[in-house]
Amino acid sequence: MTGPSETTVLAGTGLVKRFGPTVALAGVDIAVRAGGSVAIMGPSGSGKSTLLHCLAGIMRPDDGAVTLLGQRIDTLNENRRSELRRTRFGFLFQFGQLLPELPADENVALPLMLDGVPAQRAVQQARTWFGPLGLGGMERRRPGELSGGQAQRVALARALVSGPSVIFADEPTGALDQATGHDTMRLLVEAARHHGASLILVTHDQRVAAWCDQVVEVRDGRLTQEVAA
Amino acid sequence: MSASLTLAWRLLRGGGRRGWLASGLTVATVAVTTGLLLFALAGNLAFGQRADREAWRAPKAAAQDAVAVEAVAPQYATVGGATQRITDVRLAALKPGAPAPPGAPGFPRPGRTYVSPALADLLKRMPADQLADRFGTVAGTLGDAALTRPGELVAVTGAKPSELPVRGGGADLGDQDGAYEPTPIAGFAGRTSDQAVSYQLLTALATVLLVVPLLVFGGAAARLTVARRDQRLAALRLVGATPRQVVAMTTAEAVLTGVLGAVVGAAAYAASLPLISRISLGGGTWFVSDLWVGVLPLLGVLAGVPLLVGVSALAGLRRVVVSPLGVARRQTPKAMTVLRLAGFVAVLVGFAVAGRGGIAIALFFLGASFLALTLIGPWVVGVLGRITAATARSPQRLLAGRRLVDDPKSAWRTVSGVALTGFIAGFLAMVPSFATDSGPSEPGRLTIVTTADGLPHAESAARQRLAAAHVPARVTAGAHGKTRAMTVRVDGGAAEINRAKTALADIVPGHAPTSDADNRITDRVLMGDIGTGTRIVLIASFLVAIASAAITGVSSVLDRRQTYALLRLAGTPLRVLNRARRLETLIPLVVMGGGAILTGMFPSLLFGLAGMSMSGVVTLLICVACGFGGVIAASALSRPVLRAVTTEPVPRPD
Repeated sequence: MTGPSETTVLAGTGLVKRFGPTVALAGVDIAVRAGGSVAIMGPSGSGKSTLLHCLAGIMRPDDGAVTLLGQRIDTLNENRRSELRRTRFGFLFQFGQLLPELPADENVALPLMLDGVPAQRAVQQARTWFGPLGLGGMERRRPGELSGGQAQRVALARALVSGPSVIFADEPTGALDQATGHDTMRLLVEAARHHGASLILVTHDQRVAAWCDQVVEVRDGRLTQEVAA
Repeated sequence: MSASLTLAWRLLRGGGRRGWLASGLTVATVAVTTGLLLFALAGNLAFGQRADREAWRAPKAAAQDAVAVEAVAPQYATVGGATQRITDVRLAALKPGAPAPPGAPGFPRPGRTYVSPALADLLKRMPADQLADRFGTVAGTLGDAALTRPGELVAVTGAKPSELPVRGGGADLGDQDGAYEPTPIAGFAGRTSDQAVSYQLLTALATVLLVVPLLVFGGAAARLTVARRDQRLAALRLVGATPRQVVAMTTAEAVLTGVLGAVVGAAAYAASLPLISRISLGGGTWFVSDLWVGVLPLLGVLAGVPLLVGVSALAGLRRVVVSPLGVARRQTPKAMTVLRLAGFVAVLVGFAVAGRGGIAIALFFLGASFLALTLIGPWVVGVLGRITAATARSPQRLLAGRRLVDDPKSAWRTVSGVALTGFIAGFLAMVPSFATDSGPSEPGRLTIVTTADGLPHAESAARQRLAAAHVPARVTAGAHGKTRAMTVRVDGGAAEINRAKTALADIVPGHAPTSDADNRITDRVLMGDIGTGTRIVLIASFLVAIASAAITGVSSVLDRRQTYALLRLAGTPLRVLNRARRLETLIPLVVMGGGAILTGMFPSLLFGLAGMSMSGVVTLLICVACGFGGVIAASALSRPVLRAVTTEPVPRPD
């Protein structure tokens, strides 16, 4: 399995997570290099989303440790973990992540504002992401006025805007057609690489996983194999 | 249709814990609405019943075919320090076979008296020369049909026609409410007294003030059902349900919930009738039967409320029906037209111009300005949202502002109840409480109104009677408005005054000896009742408003649970979400609450009731404190809900 090394940004060691009698993770070791990308694959219910949630500090594992740049993060309290997610991580989900009442630029600016950047400056900074992601002219559109692919790119801009160390993506192309999904993945991987962010991606689509340096498979709560990308 | 109904029932039944919770909330809201509507209706009908019950004591002069002469005078007695009002009816038969007055065992023979049960008790407790001697020999008890309320003190005494000389047509002389000179009558149909009319108008006013918030509340409940369902219904549209089927299903589901709520509300109304009948208005408590609205009005409410719920649900569903993606794909909402503002101004101008044209027009415009407030509310909230978002420096202000712009109607619904109650409080704050205890008050000074012709005889008779009763008193005569009056100054306490009143009870038919305090008692009761009515209206509106704020607050969080959960996952602190949620309520509350209070003050100014009363100001301040406190507390209720929905680890589509 993937073990920690000198360039490891994020690592999970011996991760165990149970939901009642169900064991979702049964001792998983995983590490992500700085600037690297890992795809976590597996069938439904295999525990891949649980693994992502544990690594991202959304859930606490019942056993094992999660470290970011060598610091334990699973032992932090909820407020500290929230702050960490806001400042060091970026998130991309399949759907529903944009606030429907905010225009696109304000959606992207939100993490900056949450960190205390004045509203006007945050929005200006957010807008600089629109051109490179092919969203020029869509700054004031609301999520309901964007196509699925455009909305996903806005969400990507939001994940990147605060300069995260790691981007977590859970089925980011699940709701998109093949061509749009392909474009989105290209932008995601290129943007992550360009900004030096690591990428942890959950998918059950082989073609999406192929964008990553490393592909691992989770089955019954264990990493069963490392698939060559 | 039956397929839609079956599916609606299955969806309702299979809604799970959350579905049941939402349906339960709707049922509870509809129940409260129905219950309060029935009470508002009952209040109006009950005062009507009361007016009918006392009509026989306001004699209607018969031009011909008179069968009897009737005189009515309020008598007063001091019992244990409190003044008791006794309605003293005197009847003289002009023909044999004169009909019995309502509730009496027969037409009283001269010198015989029928008394109400409460008066019978009082007569036993007091010395005869202080009370019983004012009437004839007690010959029977009056039934409920003779009384306006339980515990009322009424005496019906028979007299010879010569003892009740008819002079001028039996008008209400104006010296006292409910006093009538000897009047020839053809029967006991009577007429509605002025006082009864005042009470009926005040109740109508209270109803207007209550019904609008109730309808808003009922509508909010219906939309709560829809808010919880719209994604599911959009999914039904996506799988091919026709708009008609969706409409039928939604209507069926909302109406089913509405019927259940209406039945629960009606049952609660019926069950609490004995309790409500103990509220003292118009001098005392109520006959439970007078508070019963009757089968037809009840059926009307039971049919009307679910219908309202169904219509509100449909209005809320319009978006989903238009497009299967209508819910999932939110777009920039159309700005609300300035027409709303124009409508509001038009109503206020109309009120200013025509509002004084009569009580019915004034009531109409009062209701209209109330409705106009509900129309302009969402528009103002939208404008506030735009200003808040444009000037936002913090994410919570930005979120709150954008949310207000996005759905001003929903934000308005949260605060509308309190704003409308603010309107009522503003209106009432400007109605001065009439000074009830001003003017001279000399307990031993009794006045008997009479005519110039009758005065010399009355004066000498009074002296003789007082001497015979051993009551130390001085009798003087003088002018009393357009008539003449005899003034008796009694030296002594309550017992002597009671004895003087007893000795002089029937010296001038239709005019009992009364003190200044006695003459003001009707006004005092009326003002006390206005106070009680105000409190009832305000308490009911506040309960509705706060419950409304709680329900809309919780449903707003539930509706947006997915977005909240994802924001939380991405590291948004709970306190930011909480502050945004609170601001969403507080901004419109402060502006709209204040605006509503000012709007409420406007009609009062028009009525010429200028001059804030102290009690009005106190009521207003209490209202402001209760309203703000209540809404903030109700809004805090959604905090644990927010915490619960954001701690769900997995973002899931509903």
